[in-house]
Amino acid sequence: MESRGEVAVEKQRVHLRPVTLRDAAPATLHLLPCEVLVNGPAPVGRFFTPAVRQGPDGLQVSFRGRSLRGEEVAVPPGFTGYVMVTEETGERQKGKQDFSGSSESDGQKDEQELVEAPESLERDFDRFIGATGSFSSFTLWGLETAPGPDAKMRGALAWPSLAEAIHAQVPED
Amino acid sequence: MAWSQPALLLSPLMLLVLTTPVQLSPDYHYFGEKGEGDTWELLRQQHQKGPMVYAICYCPLSRLADLEAMKVADSKTMSESERDRLFAKMEENGDFVGWALDVLSPNLISTSMLGRVKYNLNTLSHDTAAGLIQYALDQGVRVTQVFVDTVGLPEKYQERLQQCFPGIDVTVRAKADALYPVVSAASICAKVARDQAVKNWQFVEDLEDPDADYGSGYPNDPKTKAWLKKQVEPVFGFPQFVRFSWCTAQTILEKEAEDVLWEDSPTQDREGPERITSYFSKGPRARPHVPHRYFQERGLEPATTL
Amino acid sequence: MATRVDCGDRARAQQHVFLVPEYLKDASKKMKSGLMFVKLANPCSGEGAIYLFNMCLQQLFEIRVFKEKHHSWFINQSVQSGGLLHFATPMDPLFLLLHYLIQANKQGKFQPLDQVVVDDVFPNCVLLLKLPELEKVLHHVTEEKEIGNKKYYKYSKEKTLKWLEKKVNQTVAALKTNNVNVNARVQSSAFFSCGQVLDSKEEDYIRYAHGLVSDYIPKELSGDLSKYLKLPELSASLPNPPSKKLKLSDEPVEAKEDYTKFNTKDLKTEKKTSKLTAAQKALAKVDKSGMKSIDTFFGTKSFKKIGNVKNSKK
Repeated sequence: MESRGEVAVEKQRVHLRPVTLRDAAPATLHLLPCEVLVNGPAPVGRFFTPAVRQGPDGLQVSFRGRSLRGEEVAVPPGFTGYVMVTEETGERQKGKQDFSGSSESDGQKDEQELVEAPESLERDFDRFIGATGSFSSFTLWGLETAPGPDAKMRGALAWPSLAEAIHAQVPED
Repeated sequence: MAWSQPALLLSPLMLLVLTTPVQLSPDYHYFGEKGEGDTWELLRQQHQKGPMVYAICYCPLSRLADLEAMKVADSKTMSESERDRLFAKMEENGDFVGWALDVLSPNLISTSMLGRVKYNLNTLSHDTAAGLIQYALDQGVRVTQVFVDTVGLPEKYQERLQQCFPGIDVTVRAKADALYPVVSAASICAKVARDQAVKNWQFVEDLEDPDADYGSGYPNDPKTKAWLKKQVEPVFGFPQFVRFSWCTAQTILEKEAEDVLWEDSPTQDREGPERITSYFSKGPRARPHVPHRYFQERGLEPATTL
Repeated sequence: MATRVDCGDRARAQQHVFLVPEYLKDASKKMKSGLMFVKLANPCSGEGAIYLFNMCLQQLFEIRVFKEKHHSWFINQSVQSGGLLHFATPMDPLFLLLHYLIQANKQGKFQPLDQVVVDDVFPNCVLLLKLPELEKVLHHVTEEKEIGNKKYYKYSKEKTLKWLEKKVNQTVAALKTNNVNVNARVQSSAFFSCGQVLDSKEEDYIRYAHGLVSDYIPKELSGDLSKYLKLPELSASLPNPPSKKLKLSDEPVEAKEDYTKFNTKDLKTEKKTSKLTAAQKALAKVDKSGMKSIDTFFGTKSFKKIGNVKNSKK
């Protein structure tokens, strides 16, 4: 896939599998005030979660010897959080099978109602992405002090309500 | 906040002594009036991991000879069983020797020392000692003399404590735990308490099989070093039991664990050079589009990759 | 942010954290496909940016990503570096179309839409033509002609500016209801109290909204819109400076670490610590919340032992 180079990426479509949005299991998310320079499995449930304490002024924990203060943050109203993972090319056929299998298990009735996109939107060189988890809130951590209302993230979470106004259709004359 | 929960930090034994004033307070009062006062001792124990225990021991001046007769000595020169025996003896003689502890969790030590505003171990020790003295004063004990084993420069430490407690005669010495029986007694209390704490440590973390054999906890103990190396988790480092601030722990983390960057991490040259070259490689493009300040202030930018 | 996955381990794959409108989940019940991320020309910069199409709801979403240094996610039992958070918010497709209409207008003639929306670099732009609602709103930015059942369009700057003014107006209203600090100069927040900060001029709101809308239109059009809105030129050499310490919220300023609070609380509960000594004050500066009760360090055994001592004293 990488060999296709930049141009291919521009042309690619990344199809989000709709079924995964319905099936995504609840996920627990923490946004840390540090960059951990690795992606991969980590025993969060053994090292981090049991050490979280409810202090007088919010949540407390320590990570790598540094003290963190945190607060639970809800996603903006009307929104749902998803964790998504792109499928590898080698995995794709398998993914397709998985997908058709699970839609069958949804029941025959549903199958007929499923709307197929008008024409083939999926091409051979496209990629696929699926939701692996969903969430309605996460824990926002600050280094030594709670992130508070002035945290950049807090401001960012207000974006959808402003975006709605900018992109709403204008009134006709 | 620090001194808001002294009762919690006080050992039950100390409470016992203080809550039976009918038997004890006349003695204190008496000796206090004599102008010689009680003797206080402090001691610090430093370890690679586990909590830091501060102990004070006190004894009416008139009973100092009795304390000496117990043959208390520097805890480091004693075996564990000897220390335990002497500690038991001190408990038996609660009518003239009392003690109190302040236990600083390793997590507190790590977060203090690694904090944005560095709170060094010496200052932490000094403040804890001062806190213990103050606690005794608050309990109504008439303190007139204080002997302290030094942490850092004895002169400065003495000056600091003297300023905090102008009415008390403060003596800070190196190796005070070998020179003054009361300091020796305190050193025994601290060591016994710390050993107990380490033995009965309850890991905050849900460790599958914490290897209990972590040695003495002293930095030069090969057992301790090996334990640290074995325990290191690539993302989380060590359990909170370990003082992350400790040099040995830091070295092991640097080698064995994933890199973690904080906003106050010392240097991040990784940014600099890359940034400069990227200006050149971007070619003739004019100044890149600067998003509106609404987006800049909220860290929002158009997504360009997935 | 690498798009490729470098090993077969699924858990090592890049995880993307998204916020998407709830109704996509309901809509997905009726869909087998038709949700896709594609790269299109950002109408402001012309560079590639990610958008999300929902072919069933006939909707377009813009993807903005929250990116701040020094963040990572813990997602269940995994760690994800970068700490990015993607926002998928509904977007007016006219903004994307404008980019093409303006380019096509260089030929100065009416053209069918499928000849306007062509892009060698971002061929997925043809998906825009599959949004049927688009045709109903095209009149905001074009003159149109119908010849033999086929529609032809031509970009109209006049109409577009009128349309953009409406966009600015509805953005101004939203800025006010969202309590966004729109003050032209940053220092205001440092010198004035919160109440005064709210006292922004209408002009500040319009300028701010103009700036936001300008993020979706070509630079030249942004300049024309500024004139159209009769916004006075800013004399400052650095327009639009981002503020470092600007308050995003209107909450009252409160010291993050107010130790007096703890101290007063302590005075209530601890009778004996009635006066604060220098030592206590020094100690109060340090957070020792990590301190534990001595009880937690001792097992039940030693606890019993202490109890025995107590009994033996009696």
